Amino acid sequence: MLDAKLNFKLLEMCSRCGACYSICPSCMNIPGYDPRAVIKDILNGEHEKWLSSRHIWECLECHYCLEMCYQHYGFENAMTALRNIAARKGLHPPQVKRGWEMFVKTSRLGEPALPARKKFGLPEPKASGAEEFRKLYALLQERRAAGNKEDKTK
Amino acid sequence: MREFAVFWGCTIQTRFPFIEKSTRLVLESFQLPYRDVDGFTCCPEKSLVNNIDHGAFVLTAARNVALVDELDIDLVSPCTGCVSNLATVKGELNANPREKAEVNSLLKEVGREFKGSSRLQHLVPFFHDAVGIHKIRQKIKRDFTGMRIALHYGCHMIRPSHALKNDDPLNPVKFDNLIRGLGAESLQFSSKLMCCGQGLDRVDEHDRALDFARIKLKELRAIGADALVLCCPSCFLQFDNNQFLMEKEGEKLGIPIIYFTELLGLSLGYSAEELGITNHRIDCSPFLAKWEELSSRPAPSVGIEAGLTGPNVLG
Ligand code: SF4
Ligand code: SF4
Repeated sequence: MLDAKLNFKLLEMCSRCGACYSICPSCMNIPGYDPRAVIKDILNGEHEKWLSSRHIWECLECHYCLEMCYQHYGFENAMTALRNIAARKGLHPPQVKRGWEMFVKTSRLGEPALPARKKFGLPEPKASGAEEFRKLYALLQERRAAGNKEDKTK
Repeated sequence: MREFAVFWGCTIQTRFPFIEKSTRLVLESFQLPYRDVDGFTCCPEKSLVNNIDHGAFVLTAARNVALVDELDIDLVSPCTGCVSNLATVKGELNANPREKAEVNSLLKEVGREFKGSSRLQHLVPFFHDAVGIHKIRQKIKRDFTGMRIALHYGCHMIRPSHALKNDDPLNPVKFDNLIRGLGAESLQFSSKLMCCGQGLDRVDEHDRALDFARIKLKELRAIGADALVLCCPSCFLQFDNNQFLMEKEGEKLGIPIIYFTELLGLSLGYSAEELGITNHRIDCSPFLAKWEELSSRPAPSVGIEAGLTGPNVLG
């Protein structure tokens, strides 16, 4: 449930367009970063070869491609899908792994800096939603597991 | 004006409490009806959470929005990423009744409901639209006439536009309007809308992140900008912290980085210390010194009366 999906029809159009290549900051500044090549491979069923490439993590999610795309799709969707698959195989960068672990554990990416807050005369930070978040995330996983079982019996 | 919650996000509270300070000072100066709300978590950060688990991304953001929905108030954030992520999920759920029902069936288990009715805004468009330049001008004590400011919007202040709907996503104007409203010149330069590149620093690509910072900072140096003004903690991290790291390696670019709330705070009469500007890694004193110098210069109209009534009048 709640999974990101790739749209092959839209990617088909991308493979004949490429317009956003000329506005994408990573295309302009990172040698070898080229979602056009990635999309071609996805359409040929060869997406696997990108899963361990650092390029799929170099998309800045700046949404330029999305904004200028006539099908309101954007290179970024292809890159996100590949990152999803790569992460599921444990191929994501160590920093991303650490960040995710912290997020799942604490519901945040860092805790308020208390001594500094005092120094600036800032109020006590508000109660965290960590506990409720953990409960919710566990529920999501339970439902997914139940859904998978159902799929198998069908 | 409707009451609103301030969504501080993780980065500001963890790394830059002085940004929270200047934000509170300006909100209070304008007597805006803001409040702090219990129970927020990370927005969550898209590039991290969405890349690993889209469901967790949607659910976490929906829960945060539900907290303000419940109180029937709006939300404003001084972080572009937070607003953009929350608005993206709000848009996705409002457009997909089935997904919304799925999310709500989970939220119900913890006693919450996502309605998607609250307005979610970034602080800059909020000041532009809800406070207004006219009101700002009335309130400020001293403006920035003569200062040459480079703006960095931050991608997520304006994109994705289908979710944020607050400015032109490819040719935004509101931040520029505010800076001009504060009397400064808003410089136009070729890398103005380029992404800061901080995302690269989150995927173990520090050198590439520096490459991105360098492109913009070098251009700013070449055109003689007095400061780079922005309103996003990630962009701030990229241009202040990473510029400092470059400086330590002997590459001094010397561009002061100033948060929008700090700029506004200065014009309202707060000192650099009160606003926490003295806590930046990159020294902002050249900017402050120039501003000081400009304001001690006599205004062009000073002495005009003497000239009109003096002995040389009418020969
Ligand atoms: S979102 Fe990614 S692919 Fe799209 S323009 Fe930005 S960097 Fe390029
Ligand atoms: S994402 Fe849109 S603009 Fe970019 S190549 Fe595909 S169709 Fe063209």
